[in-house]
Amino acid sequence: METTEILIRGDGTLIERRVHERILDVGQSVMEGLTEETRRGIRNVMNLPDWGVAHANVGVNDTLWSVAIDRISLDTKFRLIDGVLVPAFTAETDIEMPLVWPAPKEVRLVFAVQIACCYLAVKVEGNWLFAFDKEKRGYRLPLPNLHDDCLICTGNFDSHYGSCYEALLASLEQFRKSEWNSDLMRNLEQSQRFFRFRPTDETFEVLPIDAEDWTTLCNKVSTSILERVVI
Amino acid sequence: MKNITAKYGVDSINKQVEDDFTFGDLQESDTFKAALGFGDNTKTLVEGIEQSRGTVIPQGAIVRLETAANSKA
Repeated sequence: METTEILIRGDGTLIERRVHERILDVGQSVMEGLTEETRRGIRNVMNLPDWGVAHANVGVNDTLWSVAIDRISLDTKFRLIDGVLVPAFTAETDIEMPLVWPAPKEVRLVFAVQIACCYLAVKVEGNWLFAFDKEKRGYRLPLPNLHDDCLICTGNFDSHYGSCYEALLASLEQFRKSEWNSDLMRNLEQSQRFFRFRPTDETFEVLPIDAEDWTTLCNKVSTSILERVVI
Repeated sequence: MKNITAKYGVDSINKQVEDDFTFGDLQESDTFKAALGFGDNTKTLVEGIEQSRGTVIPQGAIVRLETAANSKA
């Protein structure tokens, strides 16, 4: 089919443009090549017990799963400074205990898992922990065991599973039970202003972040993985 | 002088720079760092292709900065 268009340029010149269209008979491999970088976000794909809903960003070769989480288990060493219990991560003399830090509503945490298909199984390619502000800017939390691009250093972790559901639950369980050490530590003072607890008679009260703007204690991040996160 | 657009996450800035301004200059620029909030560990991409630090940025280019992955300390 041929169509003719008459255009007027900014300088007043009239242009004739002829467009010839025909349907191409392309094979599956050509279509896959053309759509290799095409990805689609799908919300509310599955519910994960104790964690919540997982959203997917589906590509030809992999899927990035996003789970909005509302807490971080901080199984690490803590130190009491002026009546406030803060993470110390390294010091051998400090108290080691698992404390759960519930994220304030202005800090939107997303646990992301990249999963690729392989023969008769799926493979976890990586786990990331992002914090988002209300404008959807992404940040690296002031925590050790996180690379600059928010990739989590998971330690020994079986990467092959029978399904995406199993892989997601295993990744989250690994994240929940892992101890935080000083690997990849950036700034301990920022961590101690972010994660704060006050010991009471029976439990630990979670204190607000010690900054007017919590993002000032974090590093802003922009990566291709972060862009695929579905919030 | 030439105009370039730099993007980092959801933020972007359009700015006039010297003709010989390179991708490395952009990565080290305190002005761009302050405006966009990126740190020292970045890489630059134009239309998804990573650029080398010494390459001069073309006039009108839209440069995406990304946080680079680091190895374990």
